[in-house]
Amino acid sequence: MVMFATILIMSLLAVAVCAAAFGAATRGEAQPEAQPERRLVLEPPRFFASPAAKPAEAPGVPVEMLLSQIERHVRLEQAAAEAYLDLPTRDSLHSRTESPFLN
Amino acid sequence: MTSVQPDLLKGLSEEETARFLALGVPTSLASRQTLFRLGTEADKAYLVMRGRIALTLPIQIRGGEEEVLVEEKLPGETVGWSGLVPPHRFTLNATAAISSELLSFSRASVLDHFAAHPAVGHTVTRNLAAVIGHRLQVFQTMWLREMQRVVEHRYS
Repeated sequence: MVMFATILIMSLLAVAVCAAAFGAATRGEAQPEAQPERRLVLEPPRFFASPAAKPAEAPGVPVEMLLSQIERHVRLEQAAAEAYLDLPTRDSLHSRTESPFLN
Repeated sequence: MTSVQPDLLKGLSEEETARFLALGVPTSLASRQTLFRLGTEADKAYLVMRGRIALTLPIQIRGGEEEVLVEEKLPGETVGWSGLVPPHRFTLNATAAISSELLSFSRASVLDHFAAHPAVGHTVTRNLAAVIGHRLQVFQTMWLREMQRVVEHRYS
């Protein structure tokens, strides 16, 4: 009877130790899954681009001057495209112009 | 009147050229006068005989809409080929940069002329294809140059 009680107690102890070890192991695995949620909460909301990536504006430039710069850019780009079509090469395809938007 | 052979009529004999030009209706535009507007139905094509026609596209700047010059057409050049090519809608705005004179060709009169003179129709259609093809190639190249800069700006 004593022997039976000893085996029973030892078995219960073994089950308890295994359960504790399993619990610790599964807690360790669950931690990485919880991390992204915490990061989402902590970071500020971002949509298509961060505010820092927004191009700098030049509010002081009059619309007429901006239009003139755009037209100059279009003329130069068109001339560059025509030059490429006259003699197509990889270099002439991406040649630089004096456009105010590129310098 | 222009002394250069119009781009649309290259390869035609003098007689064929004269017959085709006789289909055109003389049209005068004062400086800054609109020839056609983007999105409107196109039932005519034009040959610039004198002056300069500005082709523009609208662009949004600070909440307002502005017209940006994309191309200028000089004497001898064709404007408004959408009048001859489906879906017959103008895709640009055309305005006289200075006082200008054009010949306007209705689609119906041009197609009737082609039916009566197939050889002329063939030559003019080839010239028209060259005009359209050139526009396509120029804008395709400009688009690719712009895309290259976007890629360099965003991913370099």
